[in-house]
Amino acid sequence: MKKSLSFLLSICLVLSLVLAAASPVFAKEDSEVAKIIAEAQGMTLEELAKKAIEESNGAMFYGVGNSSRGKTALPLFIDYLKTIDPDYNMEFEWQQPKNNKIFDQLTADSLKETGTFAMTLIQDGNQIQSKMVEPGILDTFVPMEWAEQNDVKAEDVKFLPLQTLNKVFMFNNTGDKTYKNVWDFVAEGEHGLYMDIDSEIVGKNFLYMLTEDKYAGWLHEAFDKLDDEQKAYFEPVIEEMQTDAEDLGLGEDGAYALAWIKLWVESYSEQTDDGPICNILVDKSATDQFGLLVYSKLRSVEESDSVSVKNIEVAAYQDDFEGIGGYGYCHYLFVTDNSPLPWTACAFIAYMTCTEDGFSAWGKDMGGYSSNPDVAEKIEETYQHAKGGYVDDESVFEAKNDRGYEWWTEEGKLVLEDPEYCSSVAFTVGSWIELLTKYTE
Amino acid sequence: MSYSDPMAKAVPAPRHKRFWNQVKTFTSKPYNIILLLLGVILTISTVAPIVAIVHDTFQIHPGTIDAHLTGRTSGYTVVNYVDLFTSKLARANLWMPMLNTLYLSIGSCLVAVVFGGMFAFFITRTNLAWRKYLSSIFIFPYIMPQWTLAVVWRNLFDSRAVTRTANGLLATLFGTQMPMWWCRGMFPSMMVLGLHYAPFAYILIGGILRNMDSNLEEAAMILDTPRWKMITRISLPMIKPAILSTILLVFGSSMGSYPVPHYLNLTTLATKYVSLNSRFTGQASILAIIMMIFGIVIMGMNIMSTKSRKSYTTVTGKSGQISRQNLGRVGKYAIALVLVILTFFTSIFPIISFAFETFLPNPGDYSFLYTGNLDNLTTKWWATSENITENGMYGQKGILYNETIWRAFKGTIVVALACSLLAGTIGTLIGYAVAKQRRSPWANYVNSVAFLPYLMPSIAVGAAFFILFSNERINLFNTYTLLIIVGTVKYIPFASRSALNSMLQLSGEIEEAAIIQDVPWIKRMSRIIIPIQKSAIISGYLLPFMTCLRELSLFMLLCVQGFILSTTLDYFDEMGLYAFSSGINLLLVVTLLIVNGLINKVTGASLDKGIGG
Repeated sequence: MKKSLSFLLSICLVLSLVLAAASPVFAKEDSEVAKIIAEAQGMTLEELAKKAIEESNGAMFYGVGNSSRGKTALPLFIDYLKTIDPDYNMEFEWQQPKNNKIFDQLTADSLKETGTFAMTLIQDGNQIQSKMVEPGILDTFVPMEWAEQNDVKAEDVKFLPLQTLNKVFMFNNTGDKTYKNVWDFVAEGEHGLYMDIDSEIVGKNFLYMLTEDKYAGWLHEAFDKLDDEQKAYFEPVIEEMQTDAEDLGLGEDGAYALAWIKLWVESYSEQTDDGPICNILVDKSATDQFGLLVYSKLRSVEESDSVSVKNIEVAAYQDDFEGIGGYGYCHYLFVTDNSPLPWTACAFIAYMTCTEDGFSAWGKDMGGYSSNPDVAEKIEETYQHAKGGYVDDESVFEAKNDRGYEWWTEEGKLVLEDPEYCSSVAFTVGSWIELLTKYTE
Repeated sequence: MSYSDPMAKAVPAPRHKRFWNQVKTFTSKPYNIILLLLGVILTISTVAPIVAIVHDTFQIHPGTIDAHLTGRTSGYTVVNYVDLFTSKLARANLWMPMLNTLYLSIGSCLVAVVFGGMFAFFITRTNLAWRKYLSSIFIFPYIMPQWTLAVVWRNLFDSRAVTRTANGLLATLFGTQMPMWWCRGMFPSMMVLGLHYAPFAYILIGGILRNMDSNLEEAAMILDTPRWKMITRISLPMIKPAILSTILLVFGSSMGSYPVPHYLNLTTLATKYVSLNSRFTGQASILAIIMMIFGIVIMGMNIMSTKSRKSYTTVTGKSGQISRQNLGRVGKYAIALVLVILTFFTSIFPIISFAFETFLPNPGDYSFLYTGNLDNLTTKWWATSENITENGMYGQKGILYNETIWRAFKGTIVVALACSLLAGTIGTLIGYAVAKQRRSPWANYVNSVAFLPYLMPSIAVGAAFFILFSNERINLFNTYTLLIIVGTVKYIPFASRSALNSMLQLSGEIEEAAIIQDVPWIKRMSRIIIPIQKSAIISGYLLPFMTCLRELSLFMLLCVQGFILSTTLDYFDEMGLYAFSSGINLLLVVTLLIVNGLINKVTGASLDKGIGG
C-alpha cells in the first residue's frame, strides 16, 4: 500500500516537473483591445455610446469588481444607451469576488483568447501594478471628457480612478478620553480596531505608504508636537528603527514611519471587516475605543438606545488634532486585455466617470469621492454630504458631515495610495512588516 | 485426459484462452469491475489537483515573492522552497503554523472522540432518559457551519477589557472577563472544532455500539471480568475502526479548517495559506502540500492499524442482542440533564441567538434587553422590500425579498443534491468492493486514493481545481458544474468510510448464501446488503449533503458570494451583517431538519441513524 501511495505521488511530481519544463513563455504584443482603447480615447461619450450599441445590442455583458455597486450602475448605463437607441438592450452579470480572489479570477480569464469579463472595477494599486498591469492583463482607458476635466493627457494617466475612498481614525466619545495626535493611536495600552492586514491588502498598503518621504515627514512633524513625557515613550523605538530604516533604503524620517508601523502592528486588534468595527465603536459601551475604518460605514448605523453616530468622533475633525487623519485608496477602472465587448466597456467606464448619473450608484452615499471634479461637484450639490449629519437644519450627527475630498487631502492629512510606491516596497518594507508579531498572535 | 488417470500429463490451455478465462473470472465479480473503473477515475481526479499544486510551487507568479527574488515575471524556479524553509520568515510562515495545526488537529480529535464517543455510549448502551431528543439535538453543531460556533463563542466570552471588542453576553450580564487564552487562539479553536465534529464520532461509534452484540460482554461478565478489562479488551477493540475513522475524518477536517482559526485568531497552515496566497503564492502551495503529507501519514498509520487479520465483524446474521446498562433511577435523569444543558449551549443557544440577531436594529445591539423598550427591535432584516442604505441595510433587501439569498439557496440545494447522489453512490460502491477484496493491494489502493482528497485541505483542493479548470479550453469558474465535480471528489470518503465500516461488520456468509441461491448481484445489493446496512449507507448520502450545504473552505475560491449560501453567509458574517448571516443559518438548519425528517419518514433512517432509538 505504501508503495502504491509512493508511486502515486511520484507520478504527480514527475508530471508537475514535465509540465513546468514544457510550458512556453510568450511575449505579449499590442492587443486588439489596446488598439480600440487608443481609438476610444479620442472619442466623446456619445460617440462611444453609439459604438457600444453597435457592439453589444442583445449581448451579455460580464463585469467584475470589488464594489457591488457596479450592479446598480449597469442598468443606469443601459437606460442611457436607450436614450440614443430605444431598441437597445443588453443582459448583464456583475460579479463581486471577495478579498484577493479577483486577481486570480482575472488572471485565469486572461488565459482565454476572448475573455469572459469585459471590464473590471478593482482596488489595491500595489497588486494591480504588479499582477495585472505589468503582465498586460488589464488596460487603462481614459475617457476624453475625464482627461479634459482633470486637465491631463490620457497617456500620462497610468490608472483611471473611479473614486477615492477613505479609511479614517474614529473614536468612541462616551468617555473622557480623546485622541489629539496620530501617535496617540500607538501609545502604551492602546489597541485600535483594524481589518487584518493579511486579509485586506489595502490596509497593508497604508503601512507601506507611511514610509514614503512625505508621509514619514508628517509623522515626524506630529511627533514633534507631543509633550516630553509622550516623546520619552516613543523615542527608544524610533532609535531602534534607525538601522532598519537605513537598511530598507528609506528617507531621513523613515525611522518615525517604521516605529509607528511597529507599534501599530503589535497593538491593533484585528477584525474581519470595517462593518463590525463600526458596529463596535458606535455602541455606547465601547468607551475609549477607537479604530481605523472606512468612513462611509457611518451611513448604515441605525439609531437606538444603545447605538448612535453621536457616540463616535472623527479624530481629524477635532480642531487641535495633529498628524495623519486616515488613508485614501482608489477604486480603479480597467478594460480587460481580451475583453469580449471593448467598446461597451469603454463607454460604460466613460459613463461612470463623466456623468452624475453614472457615478450616482456610489455618489449618493458619503465617503466616496469621484475622480472627476465636475462630477464630484454635481454630486455634492445633489446629495449635500457636507450636511449629511443635519436633521431639520441642525447638525445632530457631527461625524456624518463629510468635509469632502479637498479637505481630507489637505487639512485632514489623508495618506494617499501610490500603486507604484507600494509595489516597489512590497518585498522590502513588506517583508519587514511580516517579521513583526501581531497583537493577536 | 481421463479422470481415472491422475498421472496423465495435463495439457495447458492456449495462452489467449487462459487470458480470456482470467478476464471472464475477473469480470464475473462485480466488485472487481467497480474497483477497476473507480480506481482509474479516482486516480485521475486525485492526481490532477496534486499535479496542479506541485506545479504551482515551481511557477513564478507576477507580483509575488518569487518574481521579486528571481527578477523574472514568468518561468520556473525552486526559490519558493528555498525561501520558505530558510528565510527569516520561516518561523512565522512555516514552523509556527505547522505546530499550531498539529496541536489543533490532535486536540480537536481528542475533544470529538471523547465527547462524541461518550455521548454515543450513553445513548446506545445505557437506559439514559430522553435519548431520542438528545440524539437529534446532538448533531446540530455539525449541521451548522463550523464558524457559527466560533461566532457564538466570541459572542459569549468576548469582553472590551480583554479582547478589545464589544462586550459579549457574559461580560454584559455578569461582568465576567474570561482570559485571552480562553477567548482567542488554540483552546477555543480546539473546543469549537471538537464540538463541531463530535457528531462524527457519535454517528460512527454509535452506529457500531448500537449493532454490537452484547453476548461477548455478558460472557465476560459471567466470567467475572473486571469492567475496565471488558472495555479495553472487548468494547474498545470492537469500535476501533470507528474511532480510527473518526480520527481520520476529524484530523483531516481540522487541519484544513479555515474559518474557525480565522475567527478565533489562530495561525494555522490553512489560515497561513490564505494570508500568504496574495504575495507568496508559490509558498502557499507548498503549505498545501505539507498539509497533504500530514494527511497521507495519518492515512498510512490508519492502514497499518487495520491491516492486521483481526475481525471487526459485529453483524453476523446469527442471533444477537443488545442489553442496556442501568444508570439507576436518579442517574439516568441526572446524566441526561447534564447532557441537555451541554447540548443547549452547543445546539439550541446558537439558534436562539441567530433568531434574535435577525430582529436587532444593529448587529449585536441588545439594547431592548436592558431598556425593555421593544422599539429597539425591528423586522427590517426580514421585511425590507426595496434597495436602501440609510438604515443599516447596506443596499440589501430583507431576507424574504433578497434575490441574492434565495438564488444562493437554490444553488446550494442543486450542488448539495448532486454531490450527495454522486458521492454517496460512488462511495457506497467503493466501500462494498473494498470490503469484498480487503486483502487485495488494488482494493487498498482504491480505498486510499478515494480517501486522499479528504485529507487534502479543502482550500488547497479548491485552489487546485480552480487552476485546473481555468484555462484556454475549459473555464468553469463560478459554475455549478465545477462545484459538483469538486464536491463529489471531496465527499466520496464520507460515503466510502461509512460504507466500508458497515460492510466490514457484515459477515461474508450472508451474501454467500444468496450467491449459492444464484441471486443476481443487483438483487443481492438491493434486497440484502443495502437493507441490512441501510442506516450507514444513508449516512453516506446525508453526510455529503449536509457538509455541502454549509461548505465554505472548499468552494470559497471557486465561486463568488451570492452563488451558494455558504459564501453568501460568510460574506455577511465578515461584513458584520450578522442579521443576514443568522437568517441564512436558520434557513440551513430548517432545511436540514426537513430533509432529515423526510428521509426518516420515507426510509426509516436518519442522520443519527436512529441511534437514539
